[in-house]
Amino acid sequence: MRRRLIGLLVVLVIAWGGIGLLLARGITPKLGLDLQGGTSVVLTAPADTDPEVLEQAVEIMRARIEEVGGVQEPEIAISGASTVLVQLPGVEDEERALNAIGQTGQLSFRPVLDAIFGEQGPLVTTTTTSTSTTVTTAAGDTTSSTSAGSTSTIASTTTLSTEPGATTSTTTTLPANVDPLTGLTIVDDPAASSYLPSTGNFLGQPVPEVLYVGPAELLGADVADAIPGFDPSRAQWVINLDLTSEGAEKFATLTGEAAGFPSDSPQRRIAIVLDGEVVAAPSVADDVGLEGITGGQAQITFGGGATDEQEARDTAALLRYGSLPVAFERSQVQKVSATLGEDSLRSGLLAGYLGLALVALLLIGYYRAMGLVAVAGLTVFGALLVGIFGLMGRYQGLTLTLAGVTGVIVSIGITADSYIVYFERIKEEIRSGRSVRSAVDEGFRHAFRTILTADTVSLLGAGLLWFLSVGPVKGFALSLGIATLIDIFVARVYTRRAAWLLARTPLADRGWLSIKETAQ
Amino acid sequence: MQISAGLIAVSLIALVVRDLNLGIEFEGGLAVTGPNPAGASVEDLRSAAEAAGAGEVVVQMIDDGNSFRVQTPALDEEPEDAFLDGVAAVTGTPRVELSVDAVGPSFGALILRRSLLALAVFLAAVTLFMTWRMEWKMAVAGLAALFHDLIITTGVYAVTGFEVTPATIVAILTILGYSLYDTVVVFDKVGEMVSDYGDRMTYSDLVNRSMNIVLARSLNTSLTSLIPVGSILFVGALILGASTLKDFALALFVGIAVSTYSSIFVAAPLLAAWKETESEWSGRRRKLSSKGASTVADVAPEKASAATASKPHRRPPVDSTDRPPRRPGAGATPRPPKKRKR
Repeated sequence: MRRRLIGLLVVLVIAWGGIGLLLARGITPKLGLDLQGGTSVVLTAPADTDPEVLEQAVEIMRARIEEVGGVQEPEIAISGASTVLVQLPGVEDEERALNAIGQTGQLSFRPVLDAIFGEQGPLVTTTTTSTSTTVTTAAGDTTSSTSAGSTSTIASTTTLSTEPGATTSTTTTLPANVDPLTGLTIVDDPAASSYLPSTGNFLGQPVPEVLYVGPAELLGADVADAIPGFDPSRAQWVINLDLTSEGAEKFATLTGEAAGFPSDSPQRRIAIVLDGEVVAAPSVADDVGLEGITGGQAQITFGGGATDEQEARDTAALLRYGSLPVAFERSQVQKVSATLGEDSLRSGLLAGYLGLALVALLLIGYYRAMGLVAVAGLTVFGALLVGIFGLMGRYQGLTLTLAGVTGVIVSIGITADSYIVYFERIKEEIRSGRSVRSAVDEGFRHAFRTILTADTVSLLGAGLLWFLSVGPVKGFALSLGIATLIDIFVARVYTRRAAWLLARTPLADRGWLSIKETAQ
Repeated sequence: MQISAGLIAVSLIALVVRDLNLGIEFEGGLAVTGPNPAGASVEDLRSAAEAAGAGEVVVQMIDDGNSFRVQTPALDEEPEDAFLDGVAAVTGTPRVELSVDAVGPSFGALILRRSLLALAVFLAAVTLFMTWRMEWKMAVAGLAALFHDLIITTGVYAVTGFEVTPATIVAILTILGYSLYDTVVVFDKVGEMVSDYGDRMTYSDLVNRSMNIVLARSLNTSLTSLIPVGSILFVGALILGASTLKDFALALFVGIAVSTYSSIFVAAPLLAAWKETESEWSGRRRKLSSKGASTVADVAPEKASAATASKPHRRPPVDSTDRPPRRPGAGATPRPPKKRKR
């Protein structure tokens, strides 16, 4: 008796106390775009973009945001001739979500032709060291271990053809897409050689460097799949790339060519470039021969920290669904209101409360003392549900939209049903001649079996919808699934104990409210 | 059954004759944006749009109400004109300063495709689960009831011309789960009755008796589910005028009501009629009637035990701990014996 009583009290304290604590700390369920509004961004494609290309881009964006997770039910729609309107609910990491949507995601593997330490490309060094016209070797011979001193050497190489000190002439020797101030490539064209900023390694320390890379030999289209993961042997986050058969050949050629250079040569390195940014530029391992790395597997490594994990995951999402067919320009972020007006929301809530109150009245009126157990149980259910949604909103970016609320309303029906199935069973058992106490115990075993069967169907549906669908349907599946699990949990830990206790109070068989009277 | 057949016929005809009124989320439409010097609210803009005959609109205020965005379904020239005038009047922005754009669907083909895939896999999984947990004929009868519910619910949308939004899709998926849930509870009882009384009642009687027992539960359950939904539908949407809510509340309301009905009046009779054609059960029916046992639902326990004299006298429902021996050798049963752990 005491054990069950304590068990029941523990459940009530956890549910009611827990929700009180969460509410006091301001952790409440986050509402979705339709209920609370969010942010809105306009992505603009080049004016003459084909509508079909735009549609393709939108599909990729939807798939990516789904992959990145943490953002429930964004709205992405083509608006106007060449713009895409993206609306996000109040997400924690807005920048991350927007990147996942709007970043082009053009991946390329490019041979490194040279590595220059420092933050600036060849041109700027020319302006400072233009008087020293040292004629030296070609850029390719400089090793990656050369320090700042050799930068001027390369710089001079570029000015070789012109008169000393003439900075104007240098601009003519470089491609048009190179910024004359930094000497870096502005618009990265995978088909042309480029100067790209990167981070190199000097005596184990990360130092800025500029990589001079050749045209891309492997593109995002050659990647069949990209799976983020943790490499325990190196304690690093990685993306494992599955290459297509064509990609595998290209990769073998690329690495084979690089393997022909000595192990300290920058030309043994391969730059992995995403949207003109060097993600990594590893050297081909010493044991790789001229046949290159075969097998169609490539790996991009990140660091071992938490931000690296997120970067690995986000980048994998970008790579998996391919690059956007056009580059978009992002407008300023705007705040937008809920699409459901405040009046609608208020009247919906009012109606919802009214409905709940009626359900409670019905349960108590029909099942009397047992109805009280059910109503208290519904508050336990509600407290757990709100608490879990609150926590998931805080830590998982879960938002409740109208669809999610629908799932919750349905789950109220399902959980009320669990009580009804149980109470009807108790009545049946009493009518067949059992005592109240044994009817309550025996009834639970039968009813729980029915509840489990029916809840399994709900869970099955919720689980499948969650894994297979996207958008609002997913939000619905999540709330239905969580609510169904809570229902099973509450039936097991609360209802059984509460009914057991009720059967041992005077409310079991004396008076109009009693279980026995209800069964007649 | 006749009622169901009639409703299904009406629904199917309506679905063929009248297209579903798909919302902006599926079909795209117009988006009007502009500043909002007059400080119009979401409701102001919505009623202005509705007054112009623009139908369902999605209204958003941008940057704390400094500007606005209204989406409507594609309009003819005249209503579009009226709509723009209305918006201009409410927001205090001259018509020429409003920017009007075409918008594509936000509930794109991808979402629809994935949802349909999920649906197909779900139905397959449920069929397997019910076959494993009960039997395959129950699974099929359950699915029949499910399609009955889905057709009638979508039929309601075709007949009333209510707009189908993503929320409606979700509501219809809900009904799917709900309908199955209801049927599972009913069939669970039937299965229990079969293992307890299968040797002295015809299948129809068993089903009938199960229905009588679960009726109170079914009615109470649908009431507890219908009340919150109905309250949103009637109080929220119709009286207080929250039109967005009515789209999904209607689907839920109709669907829940229909699925309770169908679990009792469609799934169960279907199952009974089907099982009666099995040699085991038709044989039992013949045997019971030849021995003069009543085949009506309220067969008295005395009579039942008279028909099978060796069984102890019991009152239903029984506790299985001292269950009578299993029904005697029904050789040609396609149904595996239920092994119930209690």
